[in-house]
Amino acid sequence: MGVGKSQFSEEELQAYQDLTYFTKKEVLHAHQKFKALAPEKVGHNRNAKLPMSKILQYPELRANPFGDRICKVFSSSQDGDCTFEDFLDMMSVFSDAAPKAVKAEHAFRIFDFDGDDMLGIGDLRQVVDRLTAPQRLNETDMQQVLQYILDEADLDDDGALSFAEFEHIIEKSSDFSKSFCIRL
Amino acid sequence: MSGGDRKKRACDRGQGWEEAGAEFYQESYPAAIEADLQQALQRDPSHIATLLPSKKSRVATAKRIRNDTKTTLRRRTSTRSRGTTTSRRMSTNIHDAAVSMLPDLSENLSNEERTWEEIMQIKAMPVCMAQKIQLKNQLQSATKLRLQGFEQLKWQRRKAWQQFRIRMKEAYSKMELWNDSLKTIGGNFGMGIVAYFLFIKWLLYLNVLLFAIIFLFIVLPATLLDMPEDETCVNSNNSHSISCCSELYWNITQESGNIAGILEYTLLFYGAYSHMTYTSGIFFNLPLSYISATVGVFIFSLIVIVKSAAKSFKQRVVENEGQFYQYCNLVFGGWDYCIHNEKSAAIKHKALYNEVKAFLEAERLEEERQNRTREETTKLFLMRLFINLIVLTVLCGCGIFIYYIFEFSFNQISPQIDETNITDSHLSLNLSLNRIVHLFFEFLPYMCIVILNFAVPSLFRYLVSLENYSPSFVIRITLFRTVFLRLSSLIVVLTSFYRLIVTEVKDNECTNNTSKRPLCWETFVGQQFFKLYMTDLFFQFFMTFFINFPRSMIAKHTENKVLRFFGEQEFDLPKHVLDVVYLQTICWLGLFYAPLLPLIAIFGTFVLFYIKKFACLVNSTPSSKIYRASKSNAFFMLILLISFILFTVPVGYSIAEIEPSKSCGPFRGFKSVWSLLIVVFAEFPDWLQSILYFLGTAGFGIPAFVILTLLLYYYYAVSIANKHMVTVLKNQLVLEGHDKQFLLNRLSAFIKQQQDQNKYHQEQANELGTFS
Repeated sequence: MGVGKSQFSEEELQAYQDLTYFTKKEVLHAHQKFKALAPEKVGHNRNAKLPMSKILQYPELRANPFGDRICKVFSSSQDGDCTFEDFLDMMSVFSDAAPKAVKAEHAFRIFDFDGDDMLGIGDLRQVVDRLTAPQRLNETDMQQVLQYILDEADLDDDGALSFAEFEHIIEKSSDFSKSFCIRL
Repeated sequence: MSGGDRKKRACDRGQGWEEAGAEFYQESYPAAIEADLQQALQRDPSHIATLLPSKKSRVATAKRIRNDTKTTLRRRTSTRSRGTTTSRRMSTNIHDAAVSMLPDLSENLSNEERTWEEIMQIKAMPVCMAQKIQLKNQLQSATKLRLQGFEQLKWQRRKAWQQFRIRMKEAYSKMELWNDSLKTIGGNFGMGIVAYFLFIKWLLYLNVLLFAIIFLFIVLPATLLDMPEDETCVNSNNSHSISCCSELYWNITQESGNIAGILEYTLLFYGAYSHMTYTSGIFFNLPLSYISATVGVFIFSLIVIVKSAAKSFKQRVVENEGQFYQYCNLVFGGWDYCIHNEKSAAIKHKALYNEVKAFLEAERLEEERQNRTREETTKLFLMRLFINLIVLTVLCGCGIFIYYIFEFSFNQISPQIDETNITDSHLSLNLSLNRIVHLFFEFLPYMCIVILNFAVPSLFRYLVSLENYSPSFVIRITLFRTVFLRLSSLIVVLTSFYRLIVTEVKDNECTNNTSKRPLCWETFVGQQFFKLYMTDLFFQFFMTFFINFPRSMIAKHTENKVLRFFGEQEFDLPKHVLDVVYLQTICWLGLFYAPLLPLIAIFGTFVLFYIKKFACLVNSTPSSKIYRASKSNAFFMLILLISFILFTVPVGYSIAEIEPSKSCGPFRGFKSVWSLLIVVFAEFPDWLQSILYFLGTAGFGIPAFVILTLLLYYYYAVSIANKHMVTVLKNQLVLEGHDKQFLLNRLSAFIKQQQDQNKYHQEQANELGTFS
């Protein structure tokens, strides 16, 4: 902890505490984790920008089928490369303390592959595919699943889920906020 | 917005649709939004739907965050979120943010407290850290009113409270038990299994609290206060008075040298507690305290269980409402983000795949079920009936078997007690052999119960596969049968105790010798529960480390398919839940007779966590079934609640009805434990007595009952109305959706038409130009 502490001033820690769902200690802990991904680079510059491939070394992200999407969503340069602050943002959203609405917001962006602010058929198909990989559902099953999803959630029948509709589902799913969690 | 956009908008102004559209939006979405609208429409008129406010993810969040008057922020977020090109987003939004966050001077100035509140809200915004910091600085440096007097004080207090809460959280997280273990389990098995371990943790805390209550009100006074000595037997003229019986019991326990005997007269069991009231200095009525603490413990447990059961029940209701959301739940909430192990990830993928398949399969089965022929239905029905009969027979057989084993082993032990008493001078070797045999018979019934608990569920699992139920129902019915087995074995144990205990004790006897009722039956029963608890715990330990561990080792290191089949084991959640609940039930059952049983239970639950952790992480492979955290939690609590309620009944009965033994415990001499309370009640002041008495009469009872019924009906009606309202609103939502869709289509068609017309006009104009 001693080394980590020297890299941040008290005010910076206070700012991080105010702006994330973490306490100061947890911020430092997060930094330890971040540093472990690339000890030399981060040791040199505490807010170094790590390429996406490095960030994906983080065990939870490596195992996650949406790892690259998560990096892209939280990256401040939108290309998946993350600085420590981006990483902190990410962990803050994934922490236990973050409210459901915030989680839902980010989940929506993670699932929104084409970035059109709607979860269309293409997005949903990709989500299902990534979830079941390496097996793939055959085409009829896939069609059916997509159809069921839209039947369940697409309230205005426009063939895509808007954020409001997505949030509506999340609101009713008590599992979501439990599973959308990464413990530091 | 960049300058280019503005220019474009300016030259597009003339278009006719704008008037209609702009009026529509102008009020809440000022000019800036139109540029984007224009831009998007230029590209693709049919894309107009994506511009609707309801499609704006960030708008929705931002609106919720700040439902006060700040429309500026709303605009900011809405404009930014639409950024289609990343570069533009980056370049403009910091500047944008800076501008929009400036306090709106036209509105009332924000005061310190509000600024602080807003700073606290920043964390919920989906923007990167650099922007958050900037926002914060902006807010802090903006002019704001200083709070005065009481307001200031109130704010300071709020701030301090927040600080304190953060501190507490930090301290708590440091203290929290098993955090790392939970993380590893979650990483390998997902949140459903973590919920199970959290349940064990919850039980541990519950036991600690139960123990604390009992320790404070029963054990501590009993050790600290020097209870007045009973009058000696010699003085009394009746050789079977309470004091003589007590002395007889005391002497017997001192003489018999076996292990149980040594433990018998300790605070561990009921028998050792005094029935005297401590009066020198302070007044302390130990018997009263004993019964109140026990009742208190039960009420406390009930409240705690009901509270958490209600919490998970509420979730269940919300979910059931969304029974139709099963696919969405699976797709959007299916992945456990805490999984950090590649192997588990692969299994999770597979499990999700299977789950999707299973859902589709269930859908098909449902269809098939509707198309089933009459003949098939009859066949299936007969099959199910037959299997249910078998299950019933097996259950009854188990009950009878346990009953006879009890009878047998008790008959074996009783003569031995006499023997050991007589043959004091025998060789020690012989004695120790005797003791082992004695110990064996003492534990024999419990071993049988535990073995049955292990063997019969496997049989049930096999039988249920023949019945052709839907997968979710299979889990439920197996569980139901297994619960029944476990509970029935406990019920048989209780009945055999009951037969032993409930006999007439004459005035001239300490206990009924013909029926072999022990001198202090409460201690005897306490010991039995103690033994049952220990045996079960030991068996858990033994099964996990000496049977299942080698099995899993074999499975890991062999290629042989048969061996693998026998070795491989999944973490079968329902079974493990039952193990835990069963132990807890024994704890509650034995509580009254062995007040320190919660202490044993603390130890037991603690050890059990590690046993189960080992069983989970080392012995088992991740389950191919998906256990949902929320659902399983509701299910744990339900099972716990059922077994709790079922087993408070016998305890309650024994407190209210059965005569306590004469020779030991705090209630010697009373007709029943309850009669003590009646005696105490008689000592209350008159007015309190009459009030309490009134509460018990029909004059109070019937109106209360009527009022409660009315209340119940009222809430029932409200809930029905709410349900109706939900459907109405849902329908309305769908209708609105259709309307909107219709309007949007019309609008985009209109725009297209306009654009074409414009083009046409321009072309014509050009043509005219060329002609002239």
